[in-house]
Amino acid sequence: MTALPTPLRISAVVLLLALAGFPFYWMFVTSLTPSSDLFASTPNFLPKWGEAGVYREAFEKIPVATWLLNSLIVAGGTTFLSLAIALFPAYALSRFKFTGKGVIGLSLFATQMLPEAMLVVPLYALFGQLKILNTLTALILANTAFTVPVVVWILKGAIDGVPEEIEEAARIDGCSQAGLVWCIVLPLIAPTLAAAAVIAFFHGWNEYVFAQTLVSSESLRTASVGLAGFVGELSTPIHTVMSIAMIYTVPAIIFYLFVQKYVVSGMTAGGVKG
Amino acid sequence: MSAGDPQGKSLVPRWTPYAFMAPVFFYLLFLDFIPLLNELYLSFTSTSLLTPANHIWVGLDNYRELFRNADFLHSIWITAIYTIACVVFAIGIGLIAALLLDAPFRGRAVARVLVTLPWAAPPVAVALIFTWIYNAQYGVFNYVQKLMGFDAFENWLDTPNRALIAILIATIWQIFPFSSVVILAALQGVPRELRESAAIDGAGPWAIFKAVVWPTILPTVMILALFVTIWSLRRFDLIWLLTQGGPIGATNTLVIDLYRRAFVYRDLGAGASVGMIGLSIALAVTMVHYRLSRRFGAAGA
Amino acid sequence: MKLFPRRSTLAAIALAAAGLLPSGAPIALAQGKTTITFAGVTFTEAGRGDRLRSWVDKYNKSQDKIEVQTIGLPFATFANTMFTQMGGGGGPDIIRFDTIDFYAAVPAGRVLPFDDYIKDSDYKFSAPNDYLKVNGKRYGVAFEISNYVMMYNPALLKDGKVPATFDELLAIAKSASGGGNFGYAYRATMAERNGFWQDLCNFVFGFGGRWGDGTNLTLNSPKVIEGVAAYKRMYDSGAIPRGADAATYRRMFWEGKVAIEIDNGGVAGIFNQQAPNLQFLAAPSPFPTRAQGLILAPLTVNANTKNKDAAFAFVKWALQPENQKDLQDILGASSVATVVPRSADDLAKKPWLKIYDDQTPNAVPQLVAGFEVRTPELQQIIIEQVLKVLQGGMDPKKAMDEAQELAVAKMKK
Repeated sequence: MTALPTPLRISAVVLLLALAGFPFYWMFVTSLTPSSDLFASTPNFLPKWGEAGVYREAFEKIPVATWLLNSLIVAGGTTFLSLAIALFPAYALSRFKFTGKGVIGLSLFATQMLPEAMLVVPLYALFGQLKILNTLTALILANTAFTVPVVVWILKGAIDGVPEEIEEAARIDGCSQAGLVWCIVLPLIAPTLAAAAVIAFFHGWNEYVFAQTLVSSESLRTASVGLAGFVGELSTPIHTVMSIAMIYTVPAIIFYLFVQKYVVSGMTAGGVKG
Repeated sequence: MSAGDPQGKSLVPRWTPYAFMAPVFFYLLFLDFIPLLNELYLSFTSTSLLTPANHIWVGLDNYRELFRNADFLHSIWITAIYTIACVVFAIGIGLIAALLLDAPFRGRAVARVLVTLPWAAPPVAVALIFTWIYNAQYGVFNYVQKLMGFDAFENWLDTPNRALIAILIATIWQIFPFSSVVILAALQGVPRELRESAAIDGAGPWAIFKAVVWPTILPTVMILALFVTIWSLRRFDLIWLLTQGGPIGATNTLVIDLYRRAFVYRDLGAGASVGMIGLSIALAVTMVHYRLSRRFGAAGA
Repeated sequence: MKLFPRRSTLAAIALAAAGLLPSGAPIALAQGKTTITFAGVTFTEAGRGDRLRSWVDKYNKSQDKIEVQTIGLPFATFANTMFTQMGGGGGPDIIRFDTIDFYAAVPAGRVLPFDDYIKDSDYKFSAPNDYLKVNGKRYGVAFEISNYVMMYNPALLKDGKVPATFDELLAIAKSASGGGNFGYAYRATMAERNGFWQDLCNFVFGFGGRWGDGTNLTLNSPKVIEGVAAYKRMYDSGAIPRGADAATYRRMFWEGKVAIEIDNGGVAGIFNQQAPNLQFLAAPSPFPTRAQGLILAPLTVNANTKNKDAAFAFVKWALQPENQKDLQDILGASSVATVVPRSADDLAKKPWLKIYDDQTPNAVPQLVAGFEVRTPELQQIIIEQVLKVLQGGMDPKKAMDEAQELAVAKMKK
């Protein structure tokens, strides 16, 4: 697109940024607008900084901090477990030929087609037998079932790009196959690991259907369920709801900013290339 | 697909691949596939959510009922429109964004990050802010329409012929950044010399795109299309929180239908059969994709 | 290529998760206390929720054997979540259901009969509690009984005239609209299916219609059609904020932007506590008959409970006169299982209370008589057809004829 005239290109970028950013801005402005002003015929386009107390109130009156902590544990646990489970299978799919490889590849992909709503009843029964209902562990296990295949897929793509010669040298030095993956391959695919971590983390952070059903205690509630609880409720002020939506969104964005520089390069190396 | 590949793999014991695959195999077996088989069985039974242990075998009754039901056929149609629109617009806008952000300009790094932020927003929060944006009386969406001279008194989410467009806008806003990140990554693989030499030969931007850029990113776009399709077929929270499938079934996708049958009507059997039909559609799409990508892959190489 | 710098971060998260998880489950405290859980939508409500929690805490402090933990869940998904958990062999010990869900839980054997623990003769139960008996057996006692009447904001009514008939309501609502205000508000979206149903029941019952007569469905009886047509007239009047959800329009009422709504006593109580400056009044709903919907939310005990005795001990505590009185005070204009007279002081301070209380003899549960268990499916059919009237411009009679046909076919299954 270098060929486009610069002013046109720049205005296109600005338009794109405006569209991408507007709902965030609007969430923020709404959170800082008192109820009486929200019901006005002309919307209020600028935040009223004097209303910032709504954020303190949210933390005081609503267990937002607990929700965030629970979401963080679920997202972090999902990320860790997904990467831990996926690494060796990704290596095997990349490097080895073995009977059943095709079936496993297809099965991995097929899991992406399963809606949570369909699995929630059988998983509830399974977790009941395992006696882990109403724990965050249950959420981590359930979420990982959806993230592992994507992570395997992406990591496999990255390992495909690692030259085998690097491994040969270590192998001759007497390194075990597992040690090889851990010490040689893992550091080389670090950016892709970050890209995969982002996907797994977002899934865990956002997940709603399992979090609503598999956990009942209020002390274990995640932010998605806590926030969804305001939909259609009695008279909760909209600016309070938006402040909580904001509080829930910001950590995900911060996490993303933290790892974003790895994401494009990770995707370049990763399996999304097909 | 047999064991014992010639290229220097003799050092690796035959069981190694299986040992490496074991964690994922058992994990997915217990958490995805056994539950899935359970659902498959349920789809041939009449089973209440309240007493899931009591099944009455009904054979194909659930399926027969579905295909006789005009509302269900309508929901397949809605799912198709929703999915195709997601693929076309999420990838189309993602591609435009990626091309814009691939060319160098000052502040590009910041712009790249900002454009991808919607991807980081939790769907529940997205549903809430869009609900407020669409509010008929105080929403900024209708306000802008009025400024532009339209009669805007209706909430789009609440208007049968607009609701699907409304949820599509929210969905595409949320998912296009993922496409743009992926396509941007693929653009890094476009050979610069080729692009430059084409430019020297006097080719216009469109010609360069067609001849050099598109063939390089096509495999990525194909796989991306497949993922967006699959994910759109099973998207739940955003749609459920915005419209619950209404009004008058205007946004009633298969997964929403599944959820309603299983959890609102408490009919696990019917819900499972909807799920199985959805799954069959997803599998069919995947098969078609493999066919197409093989053909395109051959032509593109 | 440098080492992946976030590996340490990931490890830290994993450690944190590993350390936190086992402590996650609410395990009964030491000293042999039994912990039971009590779930209800009311615990999530602004203001009322906190007061209800402290009511439960009073029980926790009154003895040292049993600890009741409250679980607040949103209205929209409450029953789905409860039924999934109960079907899977779990769920809270005590549940505050809505009637419609109660009638689904009883025949499935998901809630325990009360007969071994609670004898009707020991309490002065109010009449609606009889709806909580199935085949002569009691499966619940009312936690909250809430009537629907018309609430209005007198400041917004032109000439201060209060509507007494539906035509007056339409005219007054129209005249109160404009300048950013709306004359009337109700729900009419699928996203609020349950609330829409409650509002629709008020119109249909008010016009004398019923969804069923005990043996047959009567979805297309003339009185039902009149109620649906009235719903449509209001929809087209220009007096309502179309598409606004209940949270929004109740807040608008609170902010003085909506003049009239028909809502339950719980909402009146919340306005009274949370918006003390809002000077609202109440009057009987302006329909040809006085019949209106009724929220009847029973306390039930989950059949999966492992602490049956503890659960019923709490129910018994809840039924004691002083606790009933406290509960009734918290609930606003609603009433509780046993008959608790309002204090003269209360009645004087809250003139709308008497209007709510006087509605009781005319209150009808929002169920399809004779098809109670299948109300959710019928509700879906009816609401879809009414939406066709509201938004698709379908003739009410035609829509309800179709509804009847669809429903009869469905009930044969």
